[in-house]
Amino acid sequence: MTSQTLTQKILSRKAGRSVRAGEIIFPEPDLIVVHDWYSANAGRTLRQFGVERLHAPDKVMFVTDHEPIAVSAESAARQAEIRDIARHFAIGHHFDVGRGGHGHLFPVEAGFVTPGMFVEAYDTHVPNYGAVGALGFPMLNEIVEVMALGSVWIRVPGTIQIRLHGRLTPGVLIRDFAQKLIADLDAELVNYTVVEFSGPAMEHISVDERFTLCNTPIEIGAKSVLCEPDAVVREYLSGRVDRDFELPCSDSDAPFVHSAEYDLTTIEPYVAVPPIPDRVVPISAVAGKPIQHAFVGSCASGSLTDLQEAARYLKGRKIESGVRLFITPGTQAILRAAIAQGLIDIFASAGAVITAPGCGPCAAGRIGALGRGEVSINTGTRNDPGRLGARESEIYLASPAAVAASAITGRITDPRELA
Amino acid sequence: MTDSNTDFVRRGRCWLFGDNVCNDGDMIPFHFVPAREQRPEILKDHCMIGLDPEFPKKAAPGDLVIAGRRFAQGNAHIQAFFALKGLGLSVAVESIPRSSLRNCISAGVLILPECAGITATVQTGEDIEIDFRTGRLTNHTRGNSTHTYRPLDEALLHIIQQGGWEAHFKDRLSRSRSGAVHPLPT
Repeated sequence: MTSQTLTQKILSRKAGRSVRAGEIIFPEPDLIVVHDWYSANAGRTLRQFGVERLHAPDKVMFVTDHEPIAVSAESAARQAEIRDIARHFAIGHHFDVGRGGHGHLFPVEAGFVTPGMFVEAYDTHVPNYGAVGALGFPMLNEIVEVMALGSVWIRVPGTIQIRLHGRLTPGVLIRDFAQKLIADLDAELVNYTVVEFSGPAMEHISVDERFTLCNTPIEIGAKSVLCEPDAVVREYLSGRVDRDFELPCSDSDAPFVHSAEYDLTTIEPYVAVPPIPDRVVPISAVAGKPIQHAFVGSCASGSLTDLQEAARYLKGRKIESGVRLFITPGTQAILRAAIAQGLIDIFASAGAVITAPGCGPCAAGRIGALGRGEVSINTGTRNDPGRLGARESEIYLASPAAVAASAITGRITDPRELA
Repeated sequence: MTDSNTDFVRRGRCWLFGDNVCNDGDMIPFHFVPAREQRPEILKDHCMIGLDPEFPKKAAPGDLVIAGRRFAQGNAHIQAFFALKGLGLSVAVESIPRSSLRNCISAGVLILPECAGITATVQTGEDIEIDFRTGRLTNHTRGNSTHTYRPLDEALLHIIQQGGWEAHFKDRLSRSRSGAVHPLPT
């Protein structure tokens, strides 16, 4: 038996034979996820192609995270259309408004996703499922082919191995490392690979933090991201999953296309500056820049741990006059935990606005938008011009600690100064 | 697989572009994206006009777009490739981000995606021929000199030959209705 990466193992199981990087295969996913800004289009396309029944409707999940609170009559009509489509095609899992939260977070939290699973989704950030060692592949319009016929072509990707050592220092979060990493890696090397995290530091990195690790490499063209599933994952899933699962991992001599080592002890706060997520500088390079808008949330940084980190700085403090801060808990369960732990009280007392669970402003600024000439520091996934509203605005991406500290001072601020 | 070898050969003039040709703006005006315009016959008149406003008038069916690294980079929108399809063009590039390669295949445009050094072997206006199944480029202007690059996988060439994703999906659907439980393209 030749040695394999975790990705090859997962895809070999789906293909029913041993597969190598570069092969074209049609693997059948264990779960298919479609979000609320595409579900209606998917239903229309299926009908347009005359599809009557889905291949495995029980494996399909509709999530409502991009616009849980409909902001227009058209949006409300779209939500109604999605309910009709879900009934018509007997969609196995429809998490409607207020019923789940972010589709890249709550299916893991709720035990739908286990190590070694293969998932395809209409949305770029499904590699978040790599937090528990599941392989998530983003798809666009071809997701309807998967819904109708059970599969679509994929090319088996190679794997880049990133081994982590050491511990982060106070005031520095995993988001800082994740941003530094995508700035360091060559986008052409990463293109169409799976980035896999392992190493001695992983035992100190929670599943919440692994969501962040798995989220950012997509911005420079990775096909997916995995954290090697381990005891941390087994502990997280106990009580969430009642079926057996294994902890598959890459063979020690697996054919990685590239390997790199990082010492987390050396990481400092980093900020991604406009207009792309991998243009990353130490926070000192932009510290002092006035801001008007701040946001903690998104599939990159919407976990309970992220809210706890923001609350650590906001507790007993007020947001600077002229700054608005939006807090988006990733899921309904995270919102409930944040209430129980007193975090929501801290945010509201500081002058922040709590939004419905889901994507929050990061979904194209449909809520909490930026106006012309405004500057935001936030934990969203991207900082393209116009991502949060006006094209003539600036978006700086940072850790929840840096966002909270900056909202307090009204300027981009190194959180270590407020510790 | 019933495609004949000649289905994969294109001969025409070379149109040479550099590195980092941007999907939106360079290859297609961005406003067609939010407008969801996907008709090749409309988009062809706007093909590559961000780099050469006269390009849609100069290019002819069978011509070949040759470009450098990270062709169609940025946000991958399929309109850029429907525009190339509308003009009847094919593509050979030094590299292309994964999402744009998928769009190229979905649009049904023939491509050689991994042609290291190709931009140094041709000039705009030269008479070139590419066999997309073998990966062989012949430059008829330069004494029939040839270079061979890695071709796309047969399964992907077949999807392009069918006309792209829609036709491929329809074909799989019709075969599933005629009894195939899990119809694959080969």
